Amino acid sequence: MPTAGNFSSEIWLAVVTCFAAVFTQNILLSYFLGMCSFVSVSKEVKTAAGLGLAVVVVITATSILNWMAYWWVLVPLGLEFYRFILFIIIIAAFVQLLEMVIDRYSPALYLALGIFLPLITVNCAVLGSVLWMVIRNYSFVVSVGFGLGSGLGWMMAIVAMAGIRQRLDESKIPAGLRGPGITLIIAGIMALAFIGFTGVLQ
Amino acid sequence: MAEVFVSVLIISGIAAALALILVFCESIIQNYGPCKITINGKKELTVEGGKPLLSSLRERKIFLPSACGGRGTCGVCKCKVLSGAGPVLPTETPFLDAKEQKENIRLSCQVKVKNDIAIEIPDALFFIQQYQVTLTAVEDLTYDMKRFRFELTEPAEMEFVAGQYVQITCPSYQQGVEEVDRAYSIASDPKDNHFIDLIVRRVPNGICTVWMFDYLKIGDRVQMTGPYGEFRISNAQTPMIFIAGGSGMAPFVSILHQMKNSGSKRKAEYFFGGNTVRDLCLSEQMAKFEKTLADFKFIPVVSRPAPEDKWNGQTGLVTEAVKRTYTDVSGYEGYLCGSPGMIDASIKVLMELGMAKERIFYDKFA
Amino acid sequence: MKQSPQDKNLDRMLRSGKLTAGGFFGADSRSVDEVIAEDAATLIKLGYRVAQVAARMQELRDLARPALGNWVRVNDTLQVKSEDYKGMIGCPWPHSGQFGKRITAAQRLDTGQSASWSDLNIHLIEEHGFFEGRGAFFRIEPEELIRVIF
Repeated sequence: MPTAGNFSSEIWLAVVTCFAAVFTQNILLSYFLGMCSFVSVSKEVKTAAGLGLAVVVVITATSILNWMAYWWVLVPLGLEFYRFILFIIIIAAFVQLLEMVIDRYSPALYLALGIFLPLITVNCAVLGSVLWMVIRNYSFVVSVGFGLGSGLGWMMAIVAMAGIRQRLDESKIPAGLRGPGITLIIAGIMALAFIGFTGVLQ
Repeated sequence: MAEVFVSVLIISGIAAALALILVFCESIIQNYGPCKITINGKKELTVEGGKPLLSSLRERKIFLPSACGGRGTCGVCKCKVLSGAGPVLPTETPFLDAKEQKENIRLSCQVKVKNDIAIEIPDALFFIQQYQVTLTAVEDLTYDMKRFRFELTEPAEMEFVAGQYVQITCPSYQQGVEEVDRAYSIASDPKDNHFIDLIVRRVPNGICTVWMFDYLKIGDRVQMTGPYGEFRISNAQTPMIFIAGGSGMAPFVSILHQMKNSGSKRKAEYFFGGNTVRDLCLSEQMAKFEKTLADFKFIPVVSRPAPEDKWNGQTGLVTEAVKRTYTDVSGYEGYLCGSPGMIDASIKVLMELGMAKERIFYDKFA
Repeated sequence: MKQSPQDKNLDRMLRSGKLTAGGFFGADSRSVDEVIAEDAATLIKLGYRVAQVAARMQELRDLARPALGNWVRVNDTLQVKSEDYKGMIGCPWPHSGQFGKRITAAQRLDTGQSASWSDLNIHLIEEHGFFEGRGAFFRIEPEELIRVIF
């Protein structure tokens, strides 16, 4: 079990980790995880925001569930090597649940996201963030903060990208670059911009 | 060794537990419980939630017209939803124009009943029933038209007004063909309400007509719903001009029967347009109507008769024949049934000859 | 090539018998994009643009319409006729619009060659560059069509 200090210092650490995950170590723009849905669903701000929110919920919730599964089940039994399989199983189950909920309460969003909702299961940002949490030995509260931050960072990146692409709709982009081409160039420029945040947190 | 076995069991156990939780959640989240559908502010139905509006209504014997059986490809099942339907889905927008969307018209096969919902449908739809029918006779009328007689088995009678149509369910009779519903005008006498005659023209590579012409056999059982439609002759006593060719003749055969039954003395002249003499049909039946009805004339018009046919009736387009026959039709009513091209041309001619737009009634093949 | 969900849906719609008997592909196993690309290449080779072809098909149809199914002489070498059938058919692409079942036939009086197309074909060619898959009932071979209508 990762050692946890007193509660208030934990909360502060969680906030800092969250902030870092959003800006200085943005899981998408600094570590380039979760690119496929990012490139495909960033055409419209509304859909991008919907997917982003779904990813926030998935990363935060699965961080919690996987933290508990890792430290309370795998480690005591000495089965750490199973973490990849178990994490994916838990993420898949949770995404299924989320699908049902979205279908029930927002069928328009469900149809708009289409296949990209179940694809959150294999979004590397989700598994990546969960594995980071294990490798860096984060305590429970910090894990929650980290998960939330990763999700928010991913959401912010995709919404920003959608906004930029919607603006570019009317511009004359060379035929070969339209779609994924220009999206990746924009992602690169955004990543460069985010390098400006390095060193903000010690 | 035991370690491997135990660890596999543990992981499988966790996976199984998660699956069970999901099944449990599904039964709660996707269970919409009973929902109330209020129709026209008076009739109330309680149905199992979660199903499309079209099928929920069908289960309760209210049949909204549909050509694709609820798959969202025909756009025929439109219905006005007053409340409770949720936002318009992307699967509906291709079929609804801006005016319809403003009036809350929705595609009933795409709207799922997830809570109480209030809708408005034409009262006539309450009389529509589903019928099991059996094909009892097929008659060749021309080289590409046949008359099919279906005996109603259950229920055994259909009350309809001459001019209405039925929807017949064409099954998946071959690889690459899916079940569809198609509409055909009723061509039989409303008095003989235990069978339905349909006059059908073969559509090249058509789904339903190919089935009816090539696969359907005497004795086969078929599903039919009806009667639908607002096309019928008015109660006025003004003289009428009928214009119809091909399978557009179907509703007029029924209308002429009805006029005979009621002893109507209304004057009626029926212009039947065909491209060749081979396209004319039911000439004997029309001759009989001319004898039994008070004031009915059947005027077949052939566009390009071949010399060997020795045709001495009217020639040219049916619209030209109408123009030749009348100078002023402001006192007549016009009834048209056929292709959009023929109907548009006929409306133009009738209006040029003085017929008011409100006195022209048509059943466009759409 | 990996297909987006919209492409998969379109592919399913085109191959199914929901809209037309036998689907728009017949037994053709190529993808939509392949069919469109190959036919586009044929057109370029022959020196025609899609818009030209579609416009001419529409022009011929409009010339034939008033005759209500009778042959109309366009010029010394070409006659056309247009027949309406009951019913409407929708486009497999996800946008609104139903098309009447109108079939226009064009026949060359010098070579005897003929070509026929439906209103939906005109739309599929004009908007989507789609001449239908080999084996589909209403498949139009661009070469044969161009030889007849131009």
